[in-house]
Amino acid sequence: MTVATEAPATAPPRPDPQRLGVILVEPQAVVRAGIALLASAQPDMEVLVEASHAQEALQSLKSLSRKAGMVVVIDLALDGEKDSLWLIRSLREQFPSLPLLACGSYRDDAQVSKALFVGADGFVDTRVPPEEFIDAIRRTARGEVILSGVPRNWLGRIADRLESPAPRRSVLTARELEVLTVAVEGLTARQIGARLGVRERTVTTHLSRIYKKLGARSRIGAVVAATTAGLLSIQSGT
Amino acid sequence: MPVSGATAVAARPRSTNGALTRVLIVDDHPMVRDIIRLACSDRSELEVIGEAGTGPEALDKCRTLSPDVLVLDLGLPGISGLDVIRQLRREESALRILVVSGRGDRSAIFESARVGADGYLEKTGSVQDIAAAVEAVASGTQVFSVDHQRIAHEVLGELARKSREAAFMVSSLTRRERQILQLIAQGLTSRQMASTLGVSQRTVETHVANLYDKLDVRTRVQAVHRGIELGLIVMGEWWRAEQNA
Repeated sequence: MTVATEAPATAPPRPDPQRLGVILVEPQAVVRAGIALLASAQPDMEVLVEASHAQEALQSLKSLSRKAGMVVVIDLALDGEKDSLWLIRSLREQFPSLPLLACGSYRDDAQVSKALFVGADGFVDTRVPPEEFIDAIRRTARGEVILSGVPRNWLGRIADRLESPAPRRSVLTARELEVLTVAVEGLTARQIGARLGVRERTVTTHLSRIYKKLGARSRIGAVVAATTAGLLSIQSGT
Repeated sequence: MPVSGATAVAARPRSTNGALTRVLIVDDHPMVRDIIRLACSDRSELEVIGEAGTGPEALDKCRTLSPDVLVLDLGLPGISGLDVIRQLRREESALRILVVSGRGDRSAIFESARVGADGYLEKTGSVQDIAAAVEAVASGTQVFSVDHQRIAHEVLGELARKSREAAFMVSSLTRRERQILQLIAQGLTSRQMASTLGVSQRTVETHVANLYDKLDVRTRVQAVHRGIELGLIVMGEWWRAEQNA
């Protein structure tokens, strides 16, 4: 986009430290304009930055002289390599106490829980009434955690996602896991081999490696260890 | 209490038009049950169809009587109120659940919201509050006070922060430190670790100190506990250590 004239007929007003400074990061121009208009209409708010992508937002934030009395509103729909989660993570690292409110419209809680995980202070669905959206911005600035406009069961689902243990790197290879899964059924090495289309000897090699890795001395030991470690889920009835 | 959002209040159809809202009251204190029953008797739309004093009894009566609203205490003999809700929520019923609890702590409020209660009242509230809340919950409104909702969200925020810090901690551990943690879990002494890894005992001790520092723990048991919590310890090894002990 080119700048037609250099004449700043309407120079932006100087930021007013009394007012809450809103940094708006929203890829959709119309939505961005709408939120900006809404925020500017509040006597206690002013829009300091409007950005359409992550790096632009980060750069603008770094150049701001103001250090407090600000809140960042980030739509989770920024995509590409520097997506919304990247931006939230970067902001959280560089501005640890800056209030960050994620927004967007989602049918699934996964994206929202990721946003909270990387450092957002809350989430507001963009489908809420405007006054509720503005209220979410104000409360985020005050340090509250917002979860607004989402289905009632999301609190529990997000909490469960956040609490699930860090994904364990499986110590077993995919093939070993396959062998062990079949071994649970109590088949002989020969039968396992037939099932997986490999030689009996290959199966026994796999099994002894599995035992070694899991620190087990028997098939049952390996199964217990793998199950305890969450590597193996045994179907009931087998 | 206002519920935020477009999707939040899609009230499932309750009992057929004009029919009474059927209420089941669960509390281990008969006197509290009486009070709640009294509160409901004042409202023409509410009909108390049963009472229960324990968790198992609550589950049983929910299944046989299929109430519209369950008024539930958290501290119950047998199965806790939270576990009662968890089980009922797995059953896909349209049952509304109002927690009426003596507890006002953050964890009770958060966990109630988390497992899917439709409302939360503290027993310090008035009798009229209870009846109004039963009616609100029956109509599909969530009854969490502004304070309770704030608390539930706050705890969720803390959970997110802890989980973020844990992930950061995990990524800050070196390969050697992870190895050492694994060996600690197996019950090896520093001397044994040193010979296993082919380094000096002093080096092992430095690694252990750094590891404890990063995990923010002070003892072996704490380190192992933290390691399992973070999914850092391969349980197969841990299990063997347990077997040999």
